[in-house]
Formats: sequence, C-alpha cells, structure tokens
Amino acid sequence: MELVCPFCGPRALEEFVFRQSLPEPGASPYAAVYERSNRIDHSLEHWQHLGGCRAWLLVRRNPSTHEIYETTLLGGGQ
Amino acid sequence: MLNTAQHYSAWALLRARLAGPGYWRPLWGGARLRNAYDVVVVGGGGHGLATAYHLARDHRIKRIAVLEKRLVGYGNVGRNTTIVRSNYLLPQNHYFYEDSLRRWETLARVLNYNIMYSPRGVLDLAVSDGEMEALARRGNAMRLAGIDAELLDRNGVMRFAPELASSAPRRFEIVGALAQPRGGTVRHDAVAWGYARAARAFGVDIIEDCEVTGVRISAGIANGVETTRGYVKADRIVFAVAGHTGAIGEMLGLKLPIETHLLQAMVTEPIKPMLGTVLVYMHPHGEAYVTQSDRGGMVMGGFLDGFPSYTREGRWHRLENVVQSALALLPQMAPLRILRQWAGTNDMTMDGSFIIDRMRYDNVFLNGGWCYGGFKSIPASGAACATLVASGTAPDLIRAHRLSRFATGHLLDERGAGPFPVRQ
Repeated sequence: MELVCPFCGPRALEEFVFRQSLPEPGASPYAAVYERSNRIDHSLEHWQHLGGCRAWLLVRRNPSTHEIYETTLLGGGQ
Repeated sequence: MLNTAQHYSAWALLRARLAGPGYWRPLWGGARLRNAYDVVVVGGGGHGLATAYHLARDHRIKRIAVLEKRLVGYGNVGRNTTIVRSNYLLPQNHYFYEDSLRRWETLARVLNYNIMYSPRGVLDLAVSDGEMEALARRGNAMRLAGIDAELLDRNGVMRFAPELASSAPRRFEIVGALAQPRGGTVRHDAVAWGYARAARAFGVDIIEDCEVTGVRISAGIANGVETTRGYVKADRIVFAVAGHTGAIGEMLGLKLPIETHLLQAMVTEPIKPMLGTVLVYMHPHGEAYVTQSDRGGMVMGGFLDGFPSYTREGRWHRLENVVQSALALLPQMAPLRILRQWAGTNDMTMDGSFIIDRMRYDNVFLNGGWCYGGFKSIPASGAACATLVASGTAPDLIRAHRLSRFATGHLLDERGAGPFPVRQ
C-alpha cells in the first residue's frame, strides 16, 4: 500500500500512522464510538503523516486490495 | 450414515499393519449437503468445529452442518503461533481462558487425536520495575483465581529460561518475568483436524468449498442461509468466521464493534533445540513472542500491522520490527534465515475481548471478536458456545462477553486502551 501525502507526495507507509476508522455519517454518539461497518471493500479513515509533515489526513481506501481511492487533508485544507 | 472414526491406539497400529494399505480412512469429508439442519455453523475453523463437536456430543443435536468457504483449517486456526496460556488480568477473561487451558491438558485423550500439547511454560518478560509491578498485579489476580503464576526475579528467569543468559550486551536488561508454567504450545493444524474428525464421528456434516452469501429472514427470525451450493434451511445459525465477522454484520444489516486487522507471524529455518519455553516480550519499542516449533523453526509474532486490512499479506515494516524485538531477546538467533512469513485476519473488538452472543435475531449466534486470543480459547469457546446455542442461556463463563456490553458500559478492556481496536 502506498499513501500520497497532499503536501509531501508519495512517501513510505511507515511514515504514516493510522488513527481510526470512521463511523457512518449521521451515526448516534454510541454508534460513532463503538460501531463500524468494517466492509471488505471500503474504509474511511483518519491517518497522520507523523514521520513527515504531521498533517492529518482523510483516507478512503479498499482494505482488501490496498487501493487508495482518495487522500485529502482533514478539515478541508488551507 | 455415520462415518464412525477409527480409534487410534497401539492396537490400531498393529491392526493397520496386518490389514495392509488402505486401512486408514479419511478423517472427515464424504458428507453431502442436505436441505435442512437443526444447526448450521458457518466457518470450519477451530471455533466452528469445536462448537459443532460440543453441540453433537454434549447436547445430542442430530442434524448439524459446518459450512466452510475454503478448506478446514485454512483460516486463523492454521495461522497462529500455537501458544496457549491463561495469564489474563480480568476475572471474566482469566476464568474463561483457564477453562480452556484445562481442556487443552486433556484434549488429546478426549478427541483421541494427538494435538501435541506441550506445557513448556510461558514467560512474560519485563525490562523495568514499572513492568514488574504490572506483571505482579496480573499474577496476583491469576493466583486469586487459582491459576498458576510465578513472579520471577532476574535469577529466576535465567533458571527458567537459560537461553536468555547470553553474554551479548542488551539494550534493555531483563529484570524479571511472570511465568505460567502450565502454558505452552499446541500443534494448531492437529486441533482443526482432531475436532473435524471427532465432529464427523458424531455425524456432523462438514462441507468444504461452500461459501455462505446471505441469510434468509422472515417474521423476525432467520430461516436459513444462502450458499454457493444453494439454500440451506436452519433452525439455528452460528457464525464463527474469525476475521470476517464484519462482513457477517453487513449480511444481517448490523454494525458490530469490530474491525479487521492483520496479525503477522514468521518462522526461521529449523535448527536443533535452543529454546524450551515461550518468551513474550511486550514493550513500547516492540513486541515479540518467540517459541521453537517441534520441527525446530523459531516461530515469531508481534503486534498488529496497524490499520484495517483483509489482505492476509502483512507489511515488511512490521516483520522487521518483530524480528528486531526477537533478536533483542535472543541475539543467538541472528544467523538464522526466515523461511516463511504469513498473516491472518483478526477480528479486533473495541475492548479487546471476544463476543459470544445472539446477534440481532433470536436464532442467530455470533462467536467472534477473538482479537489475539482465538487459538488458545478454542476448547472453552466450543463448549460454551454450544451450551448457549443448545439451551438458549449463556453459561457463566461467557455471561460477561455479550454483545450489549458496549452499549451498557460493561467493557472488558484488558489493556485499558479505550475504544481503539488497533491498540488492543
């Protein structure tokens, strides 16, 4: 799997740290903490480029194939 | 027709010798999928087979099928590092795992199949005083429950595991350990084969190459499962699908407190006996557990890969980290070459403990969320899960492990890590 940081470009996976997978939009407070869809073909996650620019990233990817659909800066990006 | 298993004994060996080739029959297989069952168990791994075995043996349920997507033993029962132990802190966990360890001790006789239980002892090593206090707390909790635990100082560790008394300089000196002498290893493949054979002898239909693709629901109960070999009617359905429990939730329109992560293991080329115990080293700079298999290979494992994945690949970064941690323990392993590396998909729950409970419908049961504890719990899990499925009431051992504990706040957070599956 290869992640591309919006600031630094493609970097080694070890530089990035996975923080958590995100609940479905509109989930209740309980569901937001504890429930995950855990699908085999889609996952939306928070990562941080900890060993690089330290930016927080929103990553949409396929956990069965390592395909990355989208990597964006968390919070829209300035 | 029942395929009553051949009893293994010295006499059987003699009979086989006299009877010539063709005497030994296959251990399981030969079953044809029927249209309807009392219980359908989804997943032909350790938990599914053990559950089916106990349903048939203890509860006399006649029509049972185990449906396996690939082959018996393809999943995590054949991918773990074969360690069995019951050195858990929380009573809800250590009583359960102790029940399992007691069953391991006699399982070879019970199943009439050599599972090679080897009580070589499990050592949880500490390299600081703080870690020693945490281990003492865990050991005391175990002893209060009647489980064997010994807190060893440095000299005690070197007596228990002379392999560690290396003259090579260590970055972190070992200051002590918590030992569980009855812990050890079991041959994992033999567990799958032994349970499959024993379940088959009680008339359980073990159907390989049969994937469950959906559940048919009507009037608030499940009627059966859709499979790649057609529809199968079932009064009760048990899901024991290890790392793929999330997909089952999706099938039932349910979100579970589970994420699927990868756990890697690796083994070196075989060498002569050099390690007579199980070493566990959990430390912020890296975790490794090391055993020597009966074939002689040094088997190693460590933390999760670090992000959700179904790939069963395992990334290089983690492998390197595990090997470095293992070498910090046993520098004499440095010249060895890694022979194989593999990974399994782990159900990681939000509190790091497993779930055995009903799932959404009254006649659908979940046996999953095993985190790191799947293999060592197989005998206890099979017995407890079978009791729940047959009687409808959870036995005391698993009463705390219900699915609703996340909503009610009765979490079993062994590590105190919070609702982050990747840190459990």
